[in-house]
Amino acid sequence: MGRLVWMLCGLMAAPVLAAVPQDPFGSPMWEYNLSRYLGEGSRVVHDERVQLVVPPFAEDSAQVPLTLDLSAYPGPVQQIITWVDLNPIPHLFTLTPGATQARLVSLNFRVQQATTVRAAVRDADGVWHIGSAYVDAAGGGCTAPSLTGANPDWEQHFGTIHGGAFARLPGVRYKFSVMHPMDSGMVGDVPAFHIESVRLTGPGGDAPLLTMTLSQSAAENPMFVFELEQQPPYTVLWMRDNNGNVFERRLGEASGAES
Amino acid sequence: MSRRILGWLWLWLGLLGWALGTQAAELRYQLEATPVAADTWVVEGSTGNFSRDNGGNIVNVAFIATGAGVVVIDTGPSRLYGEALRELIARTTNEPISHVLLTHHHPDHVFGNQAFDPDTLYMLAQGRQALAREGEAFADNLYRLVGDWMRGTEVVVPRHTLEPGVLTVGGHRLRLLEYSGHTGSDLVVFDETTGVLFASDMLFYNRALTTPQSPGLMIWAQELVALAELPYTLVVPGHGPVLADDSAFRQMSDYLTLLYQTLMAAASRGLSPSEVMNLPLPDRFQAIAGSRYELIRTTTHLYPRYEKAALELLSEQ
Repeated sequence: MGRLVWMLCGLMAAPVLAAVPQDPFGSPMWEYNLSRYLGEGSRVVHDERVQLVVPPFAEDSAQVPLTLDLSAYPGPVQQIITWVDLNPIPHLFTLTPGATQARLVSLNFRVQQATTVRAAVRDADGVWHIGSAYVDAAGGGCTAPSLTGANPDWEQHFGTIHGGAFARLPGVRYKFSVMHPMDSGMVGDVPAFHIESVRLTGPGGDAPLLTMTLSQSAAENPMFVFELEQQPPYTVLWMRDNNGNVFERRLGEASGAES
Repeated sequence: MSRRILGWLWLWLGLLGWALGTQAAELRYQLEATPVAADTWVVEGSTGNFSRDNGGNIVNVAFIATGAGVVVIDTGPSRLYGEALRELIARTTNEPISHVLLTHHHPDHVFGNQAFDPDTLYMLAQGRQALAREGEAFADNLYRLVGDWMRGTEVVVPRHTLEPGVLTVGGHRLRLLEYSGHTGSDLVVFDETTGVLFASDMLFYNRALTTPQSPGLMIWAQELVALAELPYTLVVPGHGPVLADDSAFRQMSDYLTLLYQTLMAAASRGLSPSEVMNLPLPDRFQAIAGSRYELIRTTTHLYPRYEKAALELLSEQ
């Protein structure tokens, strides 16, 4: 009798499960985070052209490099959402491209324990293409105090921005860092204090080149890399943190050429 | 009936004893002292990485029976290792241990300290501070990497501060040199009596160098130039085989230069850290144990400085 009930349950569950492909990494958070970030019943496929690159292990749990390389993905991309399955707040960033496509995005994140990491790319038909990777870690990256905050004169450097533009054929790669503690809010008595919006805008630009929203999984003093398929004459970088501080800088022009 | 129960009991006890016995036998370092010069032995570790198979025995330690006491150079990765080392020394020479010189604060070199008389432990001032500051975090990580081998291991900061200069013990005149390239405070011991250079982790051979606390690749490379000029007859690297020529110096210099050039070029092209971690390594470095693994670590430790230097300060408009 018990077996029969299980079989019936299995039959009823089968069509629902078939909508979501198996997770090759077998993460317990796979389906939960899919419906949490992409919406219940979203169409999802694994796609190797969504290349998510993280190191096999985190040498520093508070600074784990992540690069999302979409150079093999045919596009166009409607939206990108990334998350870290086993972090207390899994969401890392959501990126919406503008008229020019983002070919590559990179930033560092924190890990609380060994985990799978996901990048979901939505195509024009509303299907999400998933790239996955796994990083081993000693952990504790989200609940470790920021090094910036521990430094008594951090406020002097707060908001300092370094940047550069690097030629790519075709296109441009922007790279910039901002001194910001990016407090996750998970360390005793330190409220969440982090950059939550990043926007790049070209000349004449009400329509941004890209918009990114960030969550607490992003690492402190973040270094961002964005590679765009076309190079605008100039680009304005705009960022805002959850305390209302706004940072605005003009990004330079790329010299030289590299394909 | 009662005999049968008794029989079972004996069987179970026997099995239990056997199980415990094999477990204890598994966690035993097989250390060997290799004579390399007069009064001098090296205990060579593997060129692997910390693992549950090797218990962290990836390091070279050494000892010199000076006639007025044994000088030990480094104590290994765990209490268990330290104890095995002490037994090995006692089997090899009748002299008591007078000095234990700790070369730098990395866990594979100082976590055997517990096994030695605290009054014999010596370390450079900066190294002692670094061990006091970072030892616990190293211990946590090592428990994770090698597991039970670490059982009972605690950080012991050496009682005595070592000054660079000449230390004469018995018939051996030891020149103590302080460098910084590997961890900020790196002791090198040159035995002027035998010509043996105990380079510790200033020198890796056939094993990729590690950079968690390195002040900079080129600082390290410059210090190696000075180190290579010592009139040595034999070199004991911190990791990798003992050798009589300058191959280890040449390999290190080559590798440090490669890393420096790779990071510089990557930063000037705007590469992300993930891209640097996956850059191809020249064939001659593929054979060096752990080269990819350590490139990933080195990128984490050092690449941010190169990245920052390749960017401009953007001021507000």
